[in-house]
Amino acid sequence: MNKLLTIGEAANSLGYSIDTLRRWDKSGRFSAVRQTKTGYRHYPVSAIETFSKNLDKFRIAKHWAKSKRGFEPLPCYFCSDSFVFQSRLLRLERDLMEHEETFDFSSLLLAIIGEIGNNSFDHNLGNWPDIAGIFFSYDLDKKKIVLADRGQGILKTLRKVRPGLNDNKKALRVAFTEIISGRSPEHRGNGLKFVKKIITNSKMKLFFQTGDAKIHLKNKPEFKVDIDKNPIIGCLAKIEF
Amino acid sequence: MKLNLKKFGTILTSRQLGKEALLAFQPNLREISDKEELEVDFKGIISLSPSWADEFLRPLFIKYKNRLILKNTNNLSVKETLSFLEKIGGFEFNKNS
Repeated sequence: MNKLLTIGEAANSLGYSIDTLRRWDKSGRFSAVRQTKTGYRHYPVSAIETFSKNLDKFRIAKHWAKSKRGFEPLPCYFCSDSFVFQSRLLRLERDLMEHEETFDFSSLLLAIIGEIGNNSFDHNLGNWPDIAGIFFSYDLDKKKIVLADRGQGILKTLRKVRPGLNDNKKALRVAFTEIISGRSPEHRGNGLKFVKKIITNSKMKLFFQTGDAKIHLKNKPEFKVDIDKNPIIGCLAKIEF
Repeated sequence: MKLNLKKFGTILTSRQLGKEALLAFQPNLREISDKEELEVDFKGIISLSPSWADEFLRPLFIKYKNRLILKNTNNLSVKETLSFLEKIGGFEFNKNS
């Protein structure tokens, strides 16, 4: 069944305002369906998904990750559990082959996407603040991958092994640069250090944000954490290649 | 004993799935004699990352040390993951690529 969303829900799922959707409806850019009884604008989920293909997925993901009230992203971007994520990784692998990316590059790209996406599930299992699951989208023509979650964020999960950590900036730095030795009960791994190693030795670029702390990584040794005035809940990542 | 890792999938990146893979393989490990080698073959693997490998390979290394032999490790993500685990763990896998 093709579910209908209200204009408010549709606007939220795309990260735009209701006024913008009204404008798009009037101009014919993105037409609503009107139910005759009420005259209110509604949008079929499949139409929103199709329309969203030409929008900036990073903007959609960031809006989702920073919204005060949690809601499920559009089904085409939502992995409600790690098994859905795993099956979409397999689909990405097939698409990378069709896109004629080299096997070596694809294997590394899948490894870092797998680390970032699975980190969200591993560190939030049973502890998701509102929406359990991740946002995952890829556009191989634009060479962009976006992942996001509304989990606890790095600071809260790292505090279990580093109780002294008190802000997102320090937590992000530890997660990407310091080896966490020994087996902790929380099983905080060293996956983001691996991601950093791969990015800094490749043509890929990574943006990563947790809370109000963000980094831009590329094939240079510098590691600078900045503050974003639009904090998010959980984590947000964009890989460009 | 030989193990084709591909039996657990071709994209091995999840900690949870690595843990489950080891649990599923545990009964087979009882059949390994004291001096027998365990050969883990990476042929057919598309992508490996440290979270999966940390749950599956590290416990095998702790138990079998040099009797754990890793074969066909030329895939770039396999190479990078093994070298990363070696670096953070301070050990070296016995590789026969």
